[in-house]
Amino acid sequence: MNRPVYLDNAATTPVDPRVAAAMAQCLGLEGEFGNPGSASHDYGAAAHALVETARAQVAACAGASPDEVVWTSGATEANNLAIFGVAHYYREQGRHIVTARTEHKAVLDPCRELERRGWRVTYLTPDSAGLIHPDQVAAALRADTVLTSIMHVNNETGVVQDISAIAAVCAQHGGARLHVDAAQSIGKSALDFAALGADLMSLSAHKVYGPKGAGALLVSRRARGAPVHLTALQFGGGQERGLRAGTVATHQVVGMGLAFELARTAPPSESDRIAVMRERLWKGLAALGGTFRNGDPAHSVPHVLNVSFEGVEGESLLAAVRGRLAVSTGSACNSTSREPSYVLRALGRDPILSESSLRFGLGRFTGEGDIDTAIAVVAEAVSRLRRLGGFLG
Amino acid sequence: MKYSELTLRYFDTAAGAGVLTGLDVYRGSAGSRAQGAWVQFDVRANSGIIQAARFLAFGCPHTIAVSAWVAEHGLGPVRAALPESVQGLSERFAVPVEKRGRLLIVEDAWVAAVAGALQR
Repeated sequence: MNRPVYLDNAATTPVDPRVAAAMAQCLGLEGEFGNPGSASHDYGAAAHALVETARAQVAACAGASPDEVVWTSGATEANNLAIFGVAHYYREQGRHIVTARTEHKAVLDPCRELERRGWRVTYLTPDSAGLIHPDQVAAALRADTVLTSIMHVNNETGVVQDISAIAAVCAQHGGARLHVDAAQSIGKSALDFAALGADLMSLSAHKVYGPKGAGALLVSRRARGAPVHLTALQFGGGQERGLRAGTVATHQVVGMGLAFELARTAPPSESDRIAVMRERLWKGLAALGGTFRNGDPAHSVPHVLNVSFEGVEGESLLAAVRGRLAVSTGSACNSTSREPSYVLRALGRDPILSESSLRFGLGRFTGEGDIDTAIAVVAEAVSRLRRLGGFLG
Repeated sequence: MKYSELTLRYFDTAAGAGVLTGLDVYRGSAGSRAQGAWVQFDVRANSGIIQAARFLAFGCPHTIAVSAWVAEHGLGPVRAALPESVQGLSERFAVPVEKRGRLLIVEDAWVAAVAGALQR
């Protein structure tokens, strides 16, 4: 049976076969199944060595030092640890946070929870291209600001923020540590934790052909001459320098380490190939007319294309391509209704176009045939729905 | 979102989509694209009998599927009501309760279309 063409790589990616093989080596009786915290025997020591190799691989890919890597279950946990950890540790210094309306829910929801607990949060609105400008951040910083959280690559539009410029603003302020959600960045955009000047950075494995359930928070030990402090969120074992208690899942971090190593050593031609396919996809969809590209292509990663289709209803569009094409929408979808994408709304798209958008996520295993199929499937669905809806264009 | 088999069948085929023309055709519409649902029915009625019906619909798969079903099953004596109640259609198509407002738009469009035929 033919499976639908998979163009949802911004949601998750398949595990690279090389990564899966490395993970399997950590599971069975013949593999390195020991507890990496058990220093008293060879099994534990071998697992510990694998964990530290993985830590070095992640650090090398992200431009960090291995001692700045704290394993987590994914970017969501990393975001929570960064936001709650900083907010609570520095609560006597201030209770104000700056972030953007276009952040992932894994940042917005912790911020809203902190608001319920008495913190104040300023939500910045991007320009129509999706960019947050450093002067916006500067204007939002207050004497009691303890944290700024701005994502590197937006998960819906692929727009890349100028993190180094924002970091410079935060550094000038002095007290506002900068957290960056970089879940979408690895393998898609150059990332150098040290050079960017961020204090904290969240990473995810499954966006880059690693396993789900693995991630890391980079915690700077050198920014502004002093390490960043966090209040831990969980306790019971003291692993990860006391910041993230719990036995480290050797197979998960080994998978993440290799996935990051493969991303770091991938030839530039891979990104170039994907960029060419994305433009081919856009050209094919644009030919339909009434199509709007969301996010500034000059400031976005090559793997993401977000398009709104005039004259069609979003839920019906997804239903019309089902079984043939796996794509995503930024619309909040529950069992009963859909809300327009809050990210596209923040960019100034009207509600109808925000609700009728599709996000195409290209990846390592995407081929030109997939792109041609996607164009044909979407073209057929959009044309049919426009006819059904009496859309005259 | 999960859809019933019936919903997907009518959504996919959408038989009866289109418009009718002629002096014996009556048109009614309701809703708006801004609301997220818009439906239009054309009915051809003679001697108190609806002989043909067509629809256009902008909306979710439930809106399109129910509109298609109504156009198919609405033939026969003209009366100012859907061929099946909104409650009945909700159950037939397993429409979530929060989306039943869409069926009221379908009902309003149908009633507006047949109203012309009733007035004749």
